[in-house]
Amino acid sequence: MSAKGALGTVKERAELALNDEFLRKAVKFTTERLRNGKKNAAGEHGNWDEWRERGRAIRLHTIAHLDYYLNLFVNNARANGVHVHFADTGADAVRIALSIAERKSAKTVVKSKSMVSEELHLNAALEKIGVEAIETDLGEYIIQLAGETPSHIVIPAIHKNRYQIADLLSEVAGEKLEADTTVLAGFVRKKLRERFLEADIGMTGCNFAIAETGSMVLFENEGNARMVTTLPKTQITLMGMERIIPSFQDLEVMATLLPRSATGQKLTMYMSAISGPRRSEDADGPDEMHIIIVDNGRSLQLGDPEFQELLNCIRCGACLNACPVYRHIGGHAYGGTYSGPIGAVLTPALNKNIAEWDDIANASSLCGACYEACPVKIPLHDMLVYLRRRKVEKGHGNKLEGAGMKGFSTLLGNAKRFRTVVKLGQIGQKLVVRDGGIRTKLGPLKGWNSYRVTPSLPKKSFRENWETLDQQIRADLKEMSPEMKQRMEDAVKRRGQGGGHHHG
Amino acid sequence: MADSHQEWLKQMEEESKAKQASFMAGIAQRLRHPVMTKAPEHPFRGAPDFWNKFEWDREEKIERFSANWKSVGGHVARLADMDAARDFIAEKAREMGAKYIVRQNEAELEALGLEAALPDARISVWNTDPDVYWKARSAEADFGVVIADHSVAYTGSVVVKSSKDKGRSVSLLPTVMMIIIPVDQMKTRLGEVLVAFDEGGRENLPAGIHFITGPSRSSDIENDLTIGVHGPGVVYALLVG
Repeated sequence: MSAKGALGTVKERAELALNDEFLRKAVKFTTERLRNGKKNAAGEHGNWDEWRERGRAIRLHTIAHLDYYLNLFVNNARANGVHVHFADTGADAVRIALSIAERKSAKTVVKSKSMVSEELHLNAALEKIGVEAIETDLGEYIIQLAGETPSHIVIPAIHKNRYQIADLLSEVAGEKLEADTTVLAGFVRKKLRERFLEADIGMTGCNFAIAETGSMVLFENEGNARMVTTLPKTQITLMGMERIIPSFQDLEVMATLLPRSATGQKLTMYMSAISGPRRSEDADGPDEMHIIIVDNGRSLQLGDPEFQELLNCIRCGACLNACPVYRHIGGHAYGGTYSGPIGAVLTPALNKNIAEWDDIANASSLCGACYEACPVKIPLHDMLVYLRRRKVEKGHGNKLEGAGMKGFSTLLGNAKRFRTVVKLGQIGQKLVVRDGGIRTKLGPLKGWNSYRVTPSLPKKSFRENWETLDQQIRADLKEMSPEMKQRMEDAVKRRGQGGGHHHG
Repeated sequence: MADSHQEWLKQMEEESKAKQASFMAGIAQRLRHPVMTKAPEHPFRGAPDFWNKFEWDREEKIERFSANWKSVGGHVARLADMDAARDFIAEKAREMGAKYIVRQNEAELEALGLEAALPDARISVWNTDPDVYWKARSAEADFGVVIADHSVAYTGSVVVKSSKDKGRSVSLLPTVMMIIIPVDQMKTRLGEVLVAFDEGGRENLPAGIHFITGPSRSSDIENDLTIGVHGPGVVYALLVG
């Protein structure tokens, strides 16, 4: 299945998402919980901005010297006995993974969470050559059974309730399972235990790769990544080429920022550093270990002053939880592997097809909450503006907003930084603001406003204005126009007739 | 097959090495600098300076570790010595009806004398018999008994390193993990443990280093916290000393 659904625009996908009452509630509840958890964890830890700054400095430094550090990592991983492979494209990575599976005559692959694997649609490719790929993260296992894709980077099955989950698992069990979390998780534990022990290959992602020792590091709570790296005879790790940090000391900074930002934890229940296959005298761990280093569009950001910092991302999901748009439409509406503000920028950046994808950038309020939440201070809101500008420059501008965007583009051309534009916006918008939201259906915000109130650009910082903004968006959702309702109902009908189409 | 597989690996290795240079050159070109061969200055290595001075005293470390471990659903016992640790494990095994126990092959655990304290349980010692399938032996165990190589108070974490005598499976597959933590070696910060891996260098790293911060958990079903989803759901930190 392609990353883009048959439904072309984020607007259409969002309408589907919005029509799903449970999804909306679940996304809101989960993201609020994670967001509060992060706030508490960051507050309790203290000096949060200094840690963010240090995290940013380490990531900036590593990416700026990526050829050196990646090369060092590769040489050290080889010295540890790892077979390292390079993949320029997703297709190359798939080809390498499949040839290892074929060489090993693998029947099953157990997988722990890997966003790169989602990016490559590797499961489908494995199925094609007759290899069963089993997702073992509880949430991923559930959505795999449902034939769907993750809707949140940290909690992939955020959009399913336990009755739906009980139905899915009952099918596997061949008997009716109670819709009780403990019962359901207990069933999965037992079921997957067998799969871990019999699997030929364990496949993982990679949170960080340590250049100086050639180690790969995994953060997780369930223990499935440990299973995958302990039990099967062969391990394959998919690693984005930018996952590098120089040293174990630097890992302390990442271990401070990542779990707190993702789930509000001081540390995930497991953090594992794997340095090569098992030593010959060890009685567990893989005999053979492969690391596939994947570019797939990442290097396009190198040397680009506007987007290079995208590579600093540590995949925590904090920007999703902070984003008022994500919180209302959920992950599938973004239509790509990565959702939320990071997805809105990363997806077109990796795919290099701004024209097709930037409607996601338009479905953003540019409120800056993503930047404030980001543990490595990626200026995502600035990047969203750059994307819109680039689309307009390339002549892909939406006709409805063409006139307004030209104004935007000119401003950016002169002032470079979006912050200046924000200031101008704060003055300019006085003409159209009512009750803190911009309701005019004219000018640059026209298309967007037909289904969402644009929050006005903040006079103060985002946090101070959060409550108002949030309420504003909530209020607007209740004020759904009858024609919009009709459109959504039609869309759902279309989905029913679509025959097995899953968005995302 | 083994030979041809080795040949295939070798061929892949050669392809990869050939590719490596062009891959790095491509990155350097995009970054607009010549391919780097010398290490760049790394001015911001590790945690901020103020953090590296931070340290708790012995009692505070024990208190904070315990509070952290309990806050994520783990259990804590403060024990005077290894005899007390043996009695604690034996009592819990009787209380919970543990019949199958697997432990690491370490002198301190040997000296515990669990075998004598629990004559009815089958106690297996990791990797002591080449005919045993040790992964499965661990998977069927009720208790896994291990000693922490390191512990960190600030995050409430224990660290276990793999070796011939220390299986990764022992801290992962049994239903209950009993981990003995020598409190005198407890550190305040994560960085105190991590820096030693840098200093020791690549050659001295084990294949697996695992930081464990509580029971296996998941919130993937309706945000409802579930304990023991893949790894041990019951984890006892036995603070000894």
